[in-house]
Amino acid sequence: MKKRTKSDIRRDQLIGLAVFLAAWEITAQIMGNKLVLPAISQIFAALWDLISSGELILALGESIWLLIVGLTISTIIGFILGALVARSRTAYWMLNPYFSALFATPTIALVPLVLVWFGFGFPGRVIVVVLAAVVPIMFSVASGLRDDPKDLVDVARSFGVKGELALLYRVRVRAALPVLLAGLRLAAGRAVVGMAVAETYLRLGGIGGLIKAYGSMFQTDYVFAAILPLSLLGITIVSIIGRIERKLHWT
Amino acid sequence: MLANLKKPSIWLPLLSLVIVFGGWEIVGRSINPLLFAPPSVVAAQFSELVTSGELAEAAQITMKALFLGYALAVLAGIPFGIVMGAWDRFGDILQPYLYAIFATPRVVVVPLIVVWFGIGFEARLFLVFFWSAIAISVNTAQGVRHARPDLVEVAHSFQASRLQMARHVLIPGAIPFVVAGLRIGAERAIVGVIIGEMFLQIVGLGGVIASGSSELLPAKMLCAVAVIAVMGTIIVTALDMLERRFQSWKGA
Repeated sequence: MKKRTKSDIRRDQLIGLAVFLAAWEITAQIMGNKLVLPAISQIFAALWDLISSGELILALGESIWLLIVGLTISTIIGFILGALVARSRTAYWMLNPYFSALFATPTIALVPLVLVWFGFGFPGRVIVVVLAAVVPIMFSVASGLRDDPKDLVDVARSFGVKGELALLYRVRVRAALPVLLAGLRLAAGRAVVGMAVAETYLRLGGIGGLIKAYGSMFQTDYVFAAILPLSLLGITIVSIIGRIERKLHWT
Repeated sequence: MLANLKKPSIWLPLLSLVIVFGGWEIVGRSINPLLFAPPSVVAAQFSELVTSGELAEAAQITMKALFLGYALAVLAGIPFGIVMGAWDRFGDILQPYLYAIFATPRVVVVPLIVVWFGIGFEARLFLVFFWSAIAISVNTAQGVRHARPDLVEVAHSFQASRLQMARHVLIPGAIPFVVAGLRIGAERAIVGVIIGEMFLQIVGLGGVIASGSSELLPAKMLCAVAVIAVMGTIIVTALDMLERRFQSWKGA
């Protein structure tokens, strides 16, 4: 059996893409129904319109800011809770049940509650992102710090690193970094979903709000044009973290 | 000390439940019992929803769309995944699109689904079916492609026929991947059915949340959220156990 090389696959995929776009364009032109299936050319025209009017940049900026704030807070909270749960049995058995329950609940089901309790300003949206992203970070921090790098700790001790906090920072965290990044990657994917959910639910700001607004005006070409950068945003963030992860893989 | 960490304890979770729910009860009562829904209010609401039959009816509607959509996803996803895995060129070409669709948050696709399928049962079914079918077929394809080379070689050297090869090497090798796909697909299906009920047609458990939101009744929402969480946990745990059962078939 002949093994297919990477360039073979790349070539097939490019041909596939060309066929796919052409088929879409032709089907759409024949159907002539912009509401149900806008043509590729119409979608790109809409995309260009969104870019040149600045609408898309503004919305993306808002969404990315929400993601950054949400993920930063998730990382801080997840780190503190994860470290607690990893190092203390009491904390593990007192906190873990809630986070397992949170992990099992679809974020979308919690959005209306957040709306009622916190309102839907920026803080409410950040809370939705945090609810979506905090659990994978916490779990990964916990499992990363629980595997005790005994030999590394011993070496550090004999070189004069003293105190649990110094050990935590200088040895345990670094030894656990690959696991932490895997958790962060998972969390980033969930954060993008949380962001979209929060923005879509009340048609408020950001790229999710943009899509919802055009959707309710039944401008399908603009809906497609706005979904495209959102998907790209999610894929890009996750693959960047994945790339760092592969570079850092020391074991 | 660390070996101790995993030792189960009944008292600590109970103690923390008492602290959290007690604190919630006190704080909720002192601020606004209607808005912050302390546990006692939620419990009262729950028994009201159960006796009026509203919750059972909603759960039934949700289950119907969930199980039908998931069953269709399994029926379509596994054969499609086998084709994708066996015919690698087709699989390679299709893979990026499936990943892109899978990575797109489903709430933003809702406007397109409204245009294509309306807001009725079919639209909700599609939300359940499509994403879970993608998860199942992508994993199945991976399983078909990743037959263990050592076992394939052994089978070859014993001159196994094609049928024997499929029966004894390829299918058992793919099963752990298929089961993993079934679990991921189920998680997707559960979220899908709730999205459909909150954004398309306000029915079922998602509909209870949506109506609780417009009536400003957090207790009602919490009841529905709890039922969804329990339902999801049961389904996913069952599939998780199945996945672990087949884990050893995966090889190194």
